[in-house]
Amino acid sequence: MNNKPLQQWLLILFCSLLLSACASNVPISDPENDPWERYNRSVHKFNKTFDKALYKPLASGYNKITPEPIKEVLGNFLNNLAYPNTIINLFLQGQFRNGLTGTGRFLINSTVGIFGIFDVASSAEIPLHDEDFGQTLAVWGWDNSRYFVLPVFGPSTIRDGFGRIGNTYMDPVSYLASKENIWAPWIIDKLHVRVRLMNQEETIESSYDPYIFIRDAWLQNREFKIYNGDPPALDYEAFLEE
Amino acid sequence: MQSAIVKTIFLTLLLAFSLPATAMEPRDIIQDSAHDIFDIINTNRADYEAHPEKLVQLVNDILMPWFDDIYAARLILGRHGRGVPADKIQAFASAMQDLLVQRYANSMLRFKSKDQLQVLKLRGTNTDKLTRVRARIAMDNNQWIPVEYSFHKVGDMWKLFDVTAEGISYIITYRNQIGPMVQADGLDAVTESLRSGTVELADN
Repeated sequence: MNNKPLQQWLLILFCSLLLSACASNVPISDPENDPWERYNRSVHKFNKTFDKALYKPLASGYNKITPEPIKEVLGNFLNNLAYPNTIINLFLQGQFRNGLTGTGRFLINSTVGIFGIFDVASSAEIPLHDEDFGQTLAVWGWDNSRYFVLPVFGPSTIRDGFGRIGNTYMDPVSYLASKENIWAPWIIDKLHVRVRLMNQEETIESSYDPYIFIRDAWLQNREFKIYNGDPPALDYEAFLEE
Repeated sequence: MQSAIVKTIFLTLLLAFSLPATAMEPRDIIQDSAHDIFDIINTNRADYEAHPEKLVQLVNDILMPWFDDIYAARLILGRHGRGVPADKIQAFASAMQDLLVQRYANSMLRFKSKDQLQVLKLRGTNTDKLTRVRARIAMDNNQWIPVEYSFHKVGDMWKLFDVTAEGISYIITYRNQIGPMVQADGLDAVTESLRSGTVELADN
């Protein structure tokens, strides 16, 4: 109930972006993966403004005042708290063995690792998987989906936008925020995400076209995750002609 | 009067002549050159930290003989490279390679232990023409970054032409940036600005 104004605000924002997108007249660089480039570019621009005005200053402030060990402990705790999302999606994708190892990882870190604040499972070489509902939808057959930049949340595809809805039920961090109104873990998690991006910021901003750079890197990395680190080989020979 | 210097020079020459002559397997190329570079840095770490520009020379000497700069350049240029005279492709390829080495070289200082790079078993499709070497690199925060080195066979030698980190390919990333630049300004201008460092390109 409480997030209704937020939803309305996002809807208005979304519509105004769509309208502004129609106005611009840039050639589309990748019609196959990014037919909505004009819309995407305007949301990208909006996100950059949002980042500059609010997200980045908050994250830098948080980064400065929080001692390293606290950040590590909080990061471990949040990763562990969100891990059931990976476990559920491993099972949904039919990776039963990995689902069981993942459950073991979660249980060990939650007990021996004291509510997840120590990542003892990694020290014990228990593999860390990375799954979410968007990847599950891809495994279920929705393998090609157009690039779609979300306001505030950034790079995505249509499929992964729907995936986010699934995640709010499977990822305890999102569930607590959207269903129980407990926002602290979600907010701290987003601050951690932003802090991690700070090393790459300079390279991104100095690139010839940051929009294209972020899009291509994101789509490639997404493909890599969907195939669990083993995507099909690239057709290099075709690159010579295209 | 076998002084240490003479010995070193002799060994370096021996290394320089013996390495590219043998048909080494891609996994060994990655493993051996990583170990060689690590050993050399480790014995003179303070010197390299004070003069990071020496790292560029080191990477150029040890890793770059295995790199197929022309093929990488042709993949990056795609249709923009068709019908372009060989010397212009070569100039572009050299400029790209220098950029790659400069970026790569500084990160070598982050290697504090040989175990930070692990070459993994071959997986997936590998033919006698094309193969992908899988490895993982440990970062400072205990996280492993998956890396892949793509090799293709030129004559009877394996040559490196693409590096992929977390699924993000060097070739694709530069390709999509360079393409529009060449279209806008022409290849010569792009080569020149790469060389003079007036244009920055993003990498992973």
